[in-house]
Amino acid sequence: MIKRSLFLMMVVCVGIPAQASARISAVGSTTVLPVMSQAAEAYHQTHPDLTITVSGGGSGVGIAAIIQGTAQLGMASRETSPEEQAKLDGKVDNIIVASDAVAVVVSKAVYESGIHQLSMAQIADIYHGKIKNWQQLGGLDKRILVIDKEASRGTRHVFAKAVLGSSHARAEGASIISGSNNEEQMIVSRSDNAIGMLSNAWLNDKVRGVDVLVDGKAIAPTIEHVRDGSYPIARGLHVLVPHTASAATKDFVQFLLSKQGQDIVKKVGYLPVR
Amino acid sequence: MFVLFWFLGDASWPYWQHFGISSVWAAEWYPYESLYGLLPAIIGTTWAMMIAMMIAVPCGLAAAIVSSEILPVIWQGWMRVGMELLAGIPSVVYGLIGLWVLLPWLQNTFDLLTGHSLLAAGMILSLMILPTIMVMSQDALRMIPTEQREAAMSMGMNWNQRLMRVLLPQAWPGIRSGILLGLGRALGETMAVMLVVGSLDRVPQPIYNILEPAQTLTSRIGREMGEAVFGSMHFSALMACGLVLAVTAICLSLLAQRKLSVVL
Repeated sequence: MIKRSLFLMMVVCVGIPAQASARISAVGSTTVLPVMSQAAEAYHQTHPDLTITVSGGGSGVGIAAIIQGTAQLGMASRETSPEEQAKLDGKVDNIIVASDAVAVVVSKAVYESGIHQLSMAQIADIYHGKIKNWQQLGGLDKRILVIDKEASRGTRHVFAKAVLGSSHARAEGASIISGSNNEEQMIVSRSDNAIGMLSNAWLNDKVRGVDVLVDGKAIAPTIEHVRDGSYPIARGLHVLVPHTASAATKDFVQFLLSKQGQDIVKKVGYLPVR
Repeated sequence: MFVLFWFLGDASWPYWQHFGISSVWAAEWYPYESLYGLLPAIIGTTWAMMIAMMIAVPCGLAAAIVSSEILPVIWQGWMRVGMELLAGIPSVVYGLIGLWVLLPWLQNTFDLLTGHSLLAAGMILSLMILPTIMVMSQDALRMIPTEQREAAMSMGMNWNQRLMRVLLPQAWPGIRSGILLGLGRALGETMAVMLVVGSLDRVPQPIYNILEPAQTLTSRIGREMGEAVFGSMHFSALMACGLVLAVTAICLSLLAQRKLSVVL
């Protein structure tokens, strides 16, 4: 009896993995993540044989994972650097599935105290530590909580390149380093005096995006302004697909670019590419 | 053990070779500018450990004395169960408690920009190592034979004298092991610290400022390991952080061995 049940257990244990569907993992940017996870869910309904596990970590992590072959799909919210590109050349397809705006976000209290727009120079001064109080910008007499991101984050690259001049520029004024978009969103929403950088899809009542002054004109971080090219801190959202990827993986990437996939992009709050 | 050290040493070798031992006290960590100074994180780790010890040692010791010398036996059991449960809670849970309870409290109390700070990290760590210190000290106190207490009483010593002259000196080796083990845990804790420390690679200004965000060795490894490509200098520098941690931890646990620690 015991023998038989042990045998049965063995059959079950061996049998389950054999039955399970193909699994692929997608790793990287937490900006691309909502699109990827919703698309994976939708795709799984019509293709139950493919399960896609999606996890964050940041664009740098996604690109590193593809270089090292530890993930099947990479997500990145920035261009690859020349060093990274050298390792990816001829082995990986870099596909843009959406675009978005990197909004300069402030806490609700800051926005309501009258800070509705900032120039690039002002933002740079804040991040370089030359402006330390909201009063200097016409707000309340409060110190600025300057949120910087981990160096591997795509949002940081794009923001630093547009505002500070180079994607790895130092931000001497930073008061704290955050990781994922959710972490940063939480810090901003809990503070009364924060400034940070977030994709436009992460804006809400407590996390407000300010307009950026370009040639004296205030441009709001909206999808419309990304579409017409007027918002200065816009970028493409990339998916990295190794050439060695399975047919199912490539089919999923095609799904991301299909009408259904692009509708998900729109629903999340980004600009579809098609 | 040897494999571990061999691995850490081998992986961090390019770092030591390129920057030398002096990089341990270089103050700038900017991986993209090839500046890999370990000092900010080492200071951060030291502060977090010291704060944790300053809170956890007196509290843990007091709890052990109260529960083994003063409380009735039935309460001792309950306190022990409580402490053991406390020791079993995963560190990320402590981190989240820190994030939702401790940080807002610190922010309001000290009027800070954000509660993320070395003080927050130290306080969370103290909560995590308290059970270790308390349980080990309690064991040490209970190991003292009743005759010793009776002898002390018959000599007319009052409670304070019994505690300071008989009980604590006798239990000291056990208490010291508890403290050093706790220290080891505080040193290696990553998740909870990462959530509350702020991860800012900067030497605190001034150096005793524990109310600003900072970085510890563990939180740096936790934050940056994912992006560092295997074999790169960045990876090697993170491994060097790991090596510094491992060497410190080994020293601590060697100290915790009774025979080797005649000094303490």
